Amino acid sequence: MSHYVIRRALQAIPLLIGISVIVFVLLQMTPGGPLAIAENPGGSGRVTQEQLERLRAKYGLDDPLYMRYLHWAGDLVRGDWGTSFNTGQPVLAMIGERIPATLLLTGLAFLVTLILAFPIGIISAARQYSLFDYIATTAAFLGIAVPSFWLALMFLYVFTFSLGWLPAVGLGDPRQQYEGFAAVVDRARHLIMPVSVLALVSTASLTRYVRAAMLDVLGQDYMRTARGKGLTERAALMRHALKNAAIPVVTILALEIPDLFIGSVIVESIFAISGMGRLFVESADLRDYPVLMGILLIASFLVILFNLIADILYSRLDPRIRYR
Amino acid sequence: MDDRALDHTRRLAQLAMAGRLSRREVLRRGAALGLSAPALITLLAACGGGESAGSTSATGGGGSTPASGSETPASGTSTTETGSSDGPKKGGRAVIALIQEPGQMNEFFNSQSGSFLSVLVVEPLFIADANGEYQPVLAAEVPTIENGGISPDSLTITYKLKEGITWSDGEPFTAEDIVFTFEVYKNPESTPLVPAAYDKIESVRAIDPLTVEVKMKEINPGYLDLWQTVLPKHKFDSTAVTQEHPLARLPLGTGPFVFKEWKTGDQIILERNPNYRDPEKPYLDGITIKVSPEKEATIAAFIAGEYDYVYFIVTGDLPTLTQAEQEGKPVHVELFEGGASVEWLWLNLSDNGDPTKPHPVLGDPAIREAMDYGIDRQAIIDEILGGFGSLTGAFIYAGWAALDMPVTPYDPDKANEILDAAGWQRGSDGIREKDGVRASLRFQTIAGDQTRELYQQLIQQNMKDIGIELKIENVPSNTIFGSYQEGGLLARGNYDIVMSRDGYEVDPADWAAVFTSDSIPSEENPGGFTYCHWRNAEFDAAIKEASSTLDQEVRKQAYARAAEIFARERPALPLYQSASADAWSTRLKGVRVGYFNPRGTLYGAADWYLED
Repeated sequence: MSHYVIRRALQAIPLLIGISVIVFVLLQMTPGGPLAIAENPGGSGRVTQEQLERLRAKYGLDDPLYMRYLHWAGDLVRGDWGTSFNTGQPVLAMIGERIPATLLLTGLAFLVTLILAFPIGIISAARQYSLFDYIATTAAFLGIAVPSFWLALMFLYVFTFSLGWLPAVGLGDPRQQYEGFAAVVDRARHLIMPVSVLALVSTASLTRYVRAAMLDVLGQDYMRTARGKGLTERAALMRHALKNAAIPVVTILALEIPDLFIGSVIVESIFAISGMGRLFVESADLRDYPVLMGILLIASFLVILFNLIADILYSRLDPRIRYR
Repeated sequence: MDDRALDHTRRLAQLAMAGRLSRREVLRRGAALGLSAPALITLLAACGGGESAGSTSATGGGGSTPASGSETPASGTSTTETGSSDGPKKGGRAVIALIQEPGQMNEFFNSQSGSFLSVLVVEPLFIADANGEYQPVLAAEVPTIENGGISPDSLTITYKLKEGITWSDGEPFTAEDIVFTFEVYKNPESTPLVPAAYDKIESVRAIDPLTVEVKMKEINPGYLDLWQTVLPKHKFDSTAVTQEHPLARLPLGTGPFVFKEWKTGDQIILERNPNYRDPEKPYLDGITIKVSPEKEATIAAFIAGEYDYVYFIVTGDLPTLTQAEQEGKPVHVELFEGGASVEWLWLNLSDNGDPTKPHPVLGDPAIREAMDYGIDRQAIIDEILGGFGSLTGAFIYAGWAALDMPVTPYDPDKANEILDAAGWQRGSDGIREKDGVRASLRFQTIAGDQTRELYQQLIQQNMKDIGIELKIENVPSNTIFGSYQEGGLLARGNYDIVMSRDGYEVDPADWAAVFTSDSIPSEENPGGFTYCHWRNAEFDAAIKEASSTLDQEVRKQAYARAAEIFARERPALPLYQSASADAWSTRLKGVRVGYFNPRGTLYGAADWYLED
């Protein structure tokens, strides 16, 4: 097992290198560049060619593409993630500053997803074709079909503009300096809508997986045996069915986590939460290559990591699966 | 500049959307879910609220007319808004919403619009008042030939500084700081982003602690725009300063507030400057700049009273805001005269950036003239902008050199006559052709701005009526404005018609250079910005003459000549001049107006106070 993990970890290295090369080249090939902002056409004070050249030289934009990549990769190996073109701050520090908000958001959304999706999926499966199942199925398909930015704007429209119950943007009231319990309440009020949007979208699909996995298991011989030996339906479900149904669901769950990070790009932008997702969008807008590379590398790493975790969990849950 | 801020939010949403769909579909869902991208954009726009198409409340706004303050801005005697009789209340914290966060809050190192908020902390030597006349702030007087500030050959400017000014850390503000600022500019290791006026400086010398002598290489009409940001010499150990320097990000100034903390993407905290020259001011304890990138949500929150000021509102926001004010919401809208930028149609006069060949369609002056007559500009203002905006005929439309020239009237019959006479014959589909060339043009602007897309379609229809086909192909701002090396459409001349807002502040020198042939972008001149790729020797000569003296009468006449040529040749067509306005919450009092820059409201923050 540990052999397997080590081998997979080593395999991740060429994979990450490959990803970084492709992403680097694609980013630089997109039209526009980081100097469009500095050049500021449309502003009253037009900067001179010499000022732009100084910036180009500083950013190394005149070097050939492969040189720029090698520079970037060389610095990275030495632990230097580069400096943002836009803010002049170290990339790692900028990402570090933004990660807590994203973790809070995605962590809560993940929890809510778990709390909602498992009971709904299990009940749907246990009472297949009941009214509850129909409602849950319809809601799940709606949740899958509705784009999260639309849902977010609808939430804003209803709960902020129409009803005035919840604050629109940010993670705290800029006017007040709350402390203690009041600060927690304020933070919670700000989190309700973004967390709900993220959680609803992922709950919708996870419910379907839980339901399908449960249905699969419920038809198995050992379930008949469990019922035959006199177990209550509830005990059979919780003790025998759920554990077996969990195997495919765990894979999906582990892959759900990087997906939540991606979903946070939209939610953070709409609710003005300064997390990693919004940093990514802002940096893409400004063609801030070092920051983009940093975020994309972390995102790639997360996907690879959670894939590995899914595989390991798999073998833990199912003794039939063994890696060599 | 205006463009970027306005379009930012929607571009965010679109980028996010693009990322989301591809990802989800590939990873898990398998089957495509069947919602088309245009449908999504419509949904997004529909629930965004705000600048809706139907809103046509053409009101005069609720604001009082700002008196043109010719008083010294810093003296606090110009127009103030009605305050309570007990005098200003001390304490409290105002909240400013910032839609587009800049990389640095220092205008010496950052040219994004958001860095203008640094005027809460950093004071300039001069500020232009509502009439475009400069008033001294850190300077003791405006240099003129009469007071000896300008040498007879106009090449030496002597700036006299006010006495007793200190930096917020208590150190005196002196001529040495200005000398140091120029040394930073000169050092090739530094990366300033300042107006081209700095490039015309030969040398800077401190005569005494309060007198600076600046020698120019050539006549420098921008001499009063210099020193908007002065760097405190005592805080730097080298003249090589780049964007990474902490003071390049959060500068030290002499103004009413000091920067305390910047949590990127979240907020910037400003505190009262304890060493401000007026011990009574500022009345506020501090200001919080809250980053709020969603424009629609920001305006809604502002109307709901969450913010005291929004940086910054544009013409498209005015119908929503004035309506909110009339409904008794806690916002105050103040409309100003003049100023503000103009929405332009940039016409590409070169064949795909090749300066030796004219554009196959737009190269014909008849096409440009017909287009000018064929656009119903008043309909844009009345039907789409809710009545906010005005028509302008001259390309020099603001400041001391402003020219009053007739606006081209909407006359589609005349446009058709012009095209008929020029040999552009209508084909079977109604689109004109000449010598096998079809009058079909790409029409581009920054994608995602709903208001603009509405009048883009109106213009498209106007042009169809006179037999010119416009194909709308909107793209992200970076694609349009990218530099020559980056393959920007304007710089490369790889466009037909681009619509964008542009303009100038007080002195037209830099703005006029946007049309001269010596700044056409090319391999040799990649930083050029004559995006029309226009060559006119007569125009070039007039502009050159206007830049060769500081005598306003001579310059004004030269600009008038240039404007005649411009109006005849039409390298770009003005659509409308944005209404210039500002807005703040009703609980914010002591707000002073009367500056040339509509955002100049921020210069008076020392006098702001909050009502309970």
